[in-house]
Amino acid sequence: MAAQIFFIYLPYISAGIFVLGVLYRVWRWMHTPVPLRIPIMPAPRTRGGVILRMVGDALWFPSLFKGDKALWLGSLFFHGFLWLVILRHFRFFLYPVPEWVAGVQTLGLYAGYLIPLPLLFLLARRLVTERNLYLSILSDFFALILLLTVSISGVLLQVFFRTYVVEVKAWILGLIFFRPMIPEINWLFGLHFLGIMVLMSYFPFGKLMHAGGLFFSPTRNQRADWEKRYVNPWDFPVSYNSMNLFPPEKYRPAAEEGREGGKE
Amino acid sequence: MKLPVDIPSLKIDSSKHQLCHPAKAKDMVKIDLPPERLPDWKEVMLRKMAEVLDRYRSVRLFLDLCVKCGACADKCQFFLGTGDPKNMPVARADLMRKVYKRYFTLGGKVWGRANESEELTEAVLREWYTYFYQCSECRRCSVFCPYGIDTAEITMAAREIMAAAGVATKYVTEVVAKVYDAGNNLGIWAPAWKDNCAFLEEDLKEISGVEVKFPVDEVGAEVLLVPPSADNFVNTNTMIGYAKMFHAAGISWTTSTYCNEGGNFGLFLNYANLKKINNRILEAARRLGVKKIYWGE
Repeated sequence: MAAQIFFIYLPYISAGIFVLGVLYRVWRWMHTPVPLRIPIMPAPRTRGGVILRMVGDALWFPSLFKGDKALWLGSLFFHGFLWLVILRHFRFFLYPVPEWVAGVQTLGLYAGYLIPLPLLFLLARRLVTERNLYLSILSDFFALILLLTVSISGVLLQVFFRTYVVEVKAWILGLIFFRPMIPEINWLFGLHFLGIMVLMSYFPFGKLMHAGGLFFSPTRNQRADWEKRYVNPWDFPVSYNSMNLFPPEKYRPAAEEGREGGKE
Repeated sequence: MKLPVDIPSLKIDSSKHQLCHPAKAKDMVKIDLPPERLPDWKEVMLRKMAEVLDRYRSVRLFLDLCVKCGACADKCQFFLGTGDPKNMPVARADLMRKVYKRYFTLGGKVWGRANESEELTEAVLREWYTYFYQCSECRRCSVFCPYGIDTAEITMAAREIMAAAGVATKYVTEVVAKVYDAGNNLGIWAPAWKDNCAFLEEDLKEISGVEVKFPVDEVGAEVLLVPPSADNFVNTNTMIGYAKMFHAAGISWTTSTYCNEGGNFGLFLNYANLKKINNRILEAARRLGVKKIYWGE
């Protein structure tokens, strides 16, 4: 029964939380209006320019480069390795294995060996530098330690305590095609997979949602087309109260003495 | 790159005691705000916060998104100047983020303080009043944030929320109230504005020998000039500069006694007053029948 819960129910539950949670968060952001135009300058003037800016923000973090070179390098390596490792893992989800997944295997392998290093760097800088220690909260350390657990257990699985991957793939494909089974795997793989399930369940609730949220950030995704009128969807009319000494009805420019005019 | 200032080490609470003077009732009622802090301020603030979260994607997203990477931490001049860690942009936004988590997110409701959430208490309000008025809304931090988190948006939201419950500063509210009384931040009345313009005309004639007009409230001019009111009062060389430029370019122009202020202090208070002050410029432009507005601060 315990095996059934761990290998069949929990994967479905955590995947469900992940998908529904992410969709809810994104839906919530999409349906919150943006009343004012607030792009960070210098901003692109066209839609194509915005797409370029967003791609840059997502892939090589130009703002961090401006702000903190060490942090920029650390996060660039971490996110780059993470992409490669995720791509490599597609060999467990796809049958037959497509060409591009096969092509990324070697790179993904080395990225997997190295990914704990930038994670340890990111953890160390939170602990060592005074400012970062002050502003770090529990969930910052939780996310880093969770990712370290998953990545280090993954490296160990690859190098020392190998499990039978054909069994793993059969089980994963069983989950995907709703023909679940219970696999024969070692304890370390159990830990690796537990980490993934915790990560999926936690993802929509915390700061890890920065992955999707970036694309909705109005300061990054707006255009600087100032010449076009921008309408605030919830705008309201303004009115003056009896205590204001200079409301609009007291302004009569045409009646000014000694000045010409009379258009009004 | 060598910075012109050294990044200070943390000096906890070093600018905690630097509080702005509180707003006066006579100004608050003129700008449609409660004359003093409401007895049910907490409920009013939470209601207003819910409204702001539903109206500004920026605020909701920026409160959700921050990963506490610390890239902004040493970029705020208020932090560089004081060393108070709550003046780091991320920590400033955290003042609101904690309250947001407590009342508006699942994690905060379930795990409470373990998830860094906090009740809206008297002490928290005092912190808001202190540190959200130690931000100049310059947006420098947003340039360095990988997600473009703009702490100015959080500051504006916090001030809007506090203002709804009758908590604001004298400097800002007094200035906004002056605009509705006199048309500008300094409180220069219409006759004084015209007099100053006449005086500058004489001055300019004396200096250059050229007859240059400083038109006021002139219907049918091509350009409405909205200068900072200080230009007609203190920095008069700038005002003379405008007149010379218009004269040389042969453009007919005018100022308006209804909106002779380029700076909008509504930005430091709330949306309604921000809009109301800007509206004066449009209103004047319509009545004067100008074709263009030149607007500087």
